[in-house]
Amino acid sequence: MQIKKILSEKEIEEIEDIIEKNYGCKIGMKNYRIFMTGEEKIWISSKSIDFDIFNFLKRCYRIGIYFGKLKRNKKIKLSIEGAMMVGKKAIKNIAILNDEEALKYMHGYDVTPDKIVEGELNNFILIKHREDFIGTGILRENYIENLIPKSRRIVKGKVI
Amino acid sequence: MFEERIKKMIDDADKLFRAEQKLKSIRVNTLKISREEIYERLRERFEVREMKWYENGFFVDGEISKTVEHYLGYYYIQEASSMLPPLALELDKNDAVLDLCSAPGSKATQMAMIMENHGVIIANDISMARLKALTHNIQKSGALNCIITNYDARNFYRTGLKFDKILLDAPCTTSGKIIKNKKIVENWNYRRVRYMSFLQKKLIKSAYYCLNKNGIVVYSTCSLEPEENEEVIDYAVKNFDFEVEKINFKGIKTRTGIKKWGDNEYEGAEKAIRIWPHDNLTEGFFICRLRKY
Repeated sequence: MQIKKILSEKEIEEIEDIIEKNYGCKIGMKNYRIFMTGEEKIWISSKSIDFDIFNFLKRCYRIGIYFGKLKRNKKIKLSIEGAMMVGKKAIKNIAILNDEEALKYMHGYDVTPDKIVEGELNNFILIKHREDFIGTGILRENYIENLIPKSRRIVKGKVI
Repeated sequence: MFEERIKKMIDDADKLFRAEQKLKSIRVNTLKISREEIYERLRERFEVREMKWYENGFFVDGEISKTVEHYLGYYYIQEASSMLPPLALELDKNDAVLDLCSAPGSKATQMAMIMENHGVIIANDISMARLKALTHNIQKSGALNCIITNYDARNFYRTGLKFDKILLDAPCTTSGKIIKNKKIVENWNYRRVRYMSFLQKKLIKSAYYCLNKNGIVVYSTCSLEPEENEEVIDYAVKNFDFEVEKINFKGIKTRTGIKKWGDNEYEGAEKAIRIWPHDNLTEGFFICRLRKY
């Protein structure tokens, strides 16, 4: 894993501001170690990981978890785990799906929401089903574009 | 030959060959959801039973891999007996932990959960293909204190890093899985047992050199073969500054290790534990805790 940059407190605050602007909340990113790899991918790990360890570990494949990708237009495409973290406190850009649409979403299809909370057209939107945040999508005019990575989709069969 | 060997190990071998596992087991991922909440959610759709030996484990009857909760990483489908080795480590939140042969990550993610994302866990595996599964599972579990590395575990000590706790869940012949896969009997061969034993000794040697003084290694396999279990412990105790510590688990039937096998008498076997498949209707497991003095 090639770390491009370990974010300073100021840079973390900038990310936090982007989240606040998009979802109306702060998630306390300063409590974590945040770093970036190529293609502006944002990663998050516990503060207890001391990055000096990498002077010893040359064959490092991954650190912490993938949080999301910073886009040029100052938006963040969140991973499922990123969406779950942000979703706990988010107050806008949320799409609420019914049971049927949520299942379609988990299979990887575009969906139609039951309700949208302060959604911005053509922006990333958190997907909520009942009490769970199940991922992100892009809010289009009449539907939500699915952004679940293939590896996380439920491939076959009925969801129970 | 496999059956003959088992009959020499235990008196009730017939029960082992007849045993079948009907329920699947899951471990709640408390990094994402509480035990109580997942229990309430699942019992609406499944028959859910508590696991007597681990509060975060449940037995579930049904197709548990196709639920919203599984998709979200609220639980991990994990063999019931394989939840025990991380418990034997008696982890502290701030420990530096090495999981030498980590993929696919069931135990690494369990340890991250026990440590509540504090401390640091190096989850290592030699196989690039298996690293993908490990990465996927760590991401899905939301384990923030894990670093995934790709070393040959036999040479990990060359990194110069030292740890408080090491989990060596060693590659093995997997004969303890007989309860799920009867073909293990047909495919069993002694050369493979000997090769694994040879490899496991190299791995425990590497673990020794990666350990801080007074640190703990938990050695485990899902093999029933004494050559892969007690013989490896005997080798470790006789060649390195290790002492075997007794492990106590409540709620599960365990037996001590095999002290005598053929002409060999194994040191430390009396403090190691064996979980026989037919005793609890789980996979078989061998677990031993060693402290470096």
